[in-house]
Amino acid sequence: MLTIKNLTKKYSKTMALDNLNLNIKKGEIFGFVGPNGAGKTTTMRIVTGLLKADSGDVYVDGVNAGGNHKILKSKIGYMPDFFGVYDNLKAIEYMEFYASIYGIVGKEAKKLCLELMELVQLSEKADSYVDEMSRGMKQRLCLARSLVHNPELLILDEPASGLDPRARYEMKEILKELHYRGMTILISSHILPELAQMCSHIGIIEKGKMVVSGTVDEIISARGAARPILIKCTDEQEKAVEILKQNRFTRNITIRDNLITILFSGDEVQEAALLSAMVQHGAHISFFAREESNLEALFLQITTQEEQAT
Amino acid sequence: MLKLNPVYQRELKTGVRSFRTALIILGYNGLLALFGLFAFYVTFEYEHRFGGSVDYASILRIYAIIAATEFCLVLFSVPALTAGAIAGEREKQTLEILLTTKLSPIQIIMGKLASSISMMILLAFSSLPVLALVFSVGGVTLKDFAEFMLLIIVTAIYIGSIGIFFSALFKKTTSATVATYGTLLILVIGTIGVAWVINVIIQMKLDNINIEGTIYQVADIGNWLLLWLINPAVTCFAMIERQIGTGKELNDFLGNFGSVSLYIRNNWFLISTVLQLGISILLLNFSSRLLNPLRKRCYWRKDA
Repeated sequence: MLTIKNLTKKYSKTMALDNLNLNIKKGEIFGFVGPNGAGKTTTMRIVTGLLKADSGDVYVDGVNAGGNHKILKSKIGYMPDFFGVYDNLKAIEYMEFYASIYGIVGKEAKKLCLELMELVQLSEKADSYVDEMSRGMKQRLCLARSLVHNPELLILDEPASGLDPRARYEMKEILKELHYRGMTILISSHILPELAQMCSHIGIIEKGKMVVSGTVDEIISARGAARPILIKCTDEQEKAVEILKQNRFTRNITIRDNLITILFSGDEVQEAALLSAMVQHGAHISFFAREESNLEALFLQITTQEEQAT
Repeated sequence: MLKLNPVYQRELKTGVRSFRTALIILGYNGLLALFGLFAFYVTFEYEHRFGGSVDYASILRIYAIIAATEFCLVLFSVPALTAGAIAGEREKQTLEILLTTKLSPIQIIMGKLASSISMMILLAFSSLPVLALVFSVGGVTLKDFAEFMLLIIVTAIYIGSIGIFFSALFKKTTSATVATYGTLLILVIGTIGVAWVINVIIQMKLDNINIEGTIYQVADIGNWLLLWLINPAVTCFAMIERQIGTGKELNDFLGNFGSVSLYIRNNWFLISTVLQLGISILLLNFSSRLLNPLRKRCYWRKDA
């Protein structure tokens, strides 16, 4: 559905995108994750035709983005991270305005707009003025607006930012419903646990490069050390740390109060050997276990590794 | 069924709901009525009281005062309506969404321009009762009135296109508004000022060689006079003067600065109107290029 090949974009001296490659298949919900300034928004703006890439190709459903933008724009629905609304316009009129841009007018437009507003749970607000709505309602309205022309690819830049937990939950449910209907969605967010629940595939970007992409399970199993080992010592913590430093599988030792967190690339046998060595050396271990796999830990690990590498 | 530009439709809808629109109509017609009544007072009451009689030939003065006042109001109103057209959307963060839709930059711009011209047409029609004062005393025909309405529309397009150009160029509405009014000042006063300065310089040079008793040479700024073709105030003056006068006053005014071909003098209104429309088309074209996010980057602008 969306293929990005060697996309490059430079702002003055900053390399925003550095030969970025990405492939999203039809029907996927692709989570786009990265620290601030990684290049997520830049990528989305290039795909939607708001920014010109320095080099590289973008294909949406086989159509080259560099070629025909009008066809491209009918295939993509976009919801930016920051957007405004018009004064003195009702919600239904706001929807009908965008519908009219795509040639949908009259009764057909009204019916479609009401259906979309029902999908985003804003039916009762159809006659309310848009500028009087809450942030969460505006986000949902903007989502409905991006669907008015029945796009094949939906691009959402931080759709849940600034929303309370209830509003985020509602947004998540709407996106699940869209996915169920077969929509391909590219979504960027900082709320990693929610992305992990919602997305079929994840891509982690840093400094303009795609660091890793695939399903959450694929990424985590490929990067086994993403699950850190947590160690608690009741006494003789220094002895435990000494053993940890000597072990060749240990990386990144973090100590907070009596909790030691390490990234350990060894297998279960080596884990058992490590524990045994610490106990024999005189450390009093009260807790030793691997943390449950989660995207946040993986993200921190990967982005930390990339920082260290550079 | 006629398919209206969606941006134009939306602007009409939101515009008429705004209290600002009502205030503009009130202010516009209030000022116009004030000047109209003043013109009536000067023509009838004042002349009768202090002159002893009323010169009915000077009734046409009423039309000139009202038309000139309305024209000045148009000149001042249009920049305020158009300078925020694109920059305002950018500030409200609604422009990006528009640019991701099927709407092309030129469609967005034409929608904005059309809404500002509609506003001017609304103002012009709302001022009909004031303008109709001149029909009560005669001297002006419906044809003259239609010509005046056409001038209003052409001027609205001309000044509007300048406003939209700066609105597309600058990120802030304030900067665009200042630039538009500044350009208007240059067009209306600057072009006359340039001609005057050149005239003075040439006359000073001629005064050095003018010998008493021989034919006094007068400065002729030549083709510099053609600058005034882009001056909307001169266009308005040419039109009103032709309608209520003989065209002599325009010739005299031009003659003070130099000589222009007879064809241009006789068709000043038509030529300047066509030229101003041509400039408008160019500016609108530039504006749509500026609005296109995929255009070649201008060196003085940073990407958003």
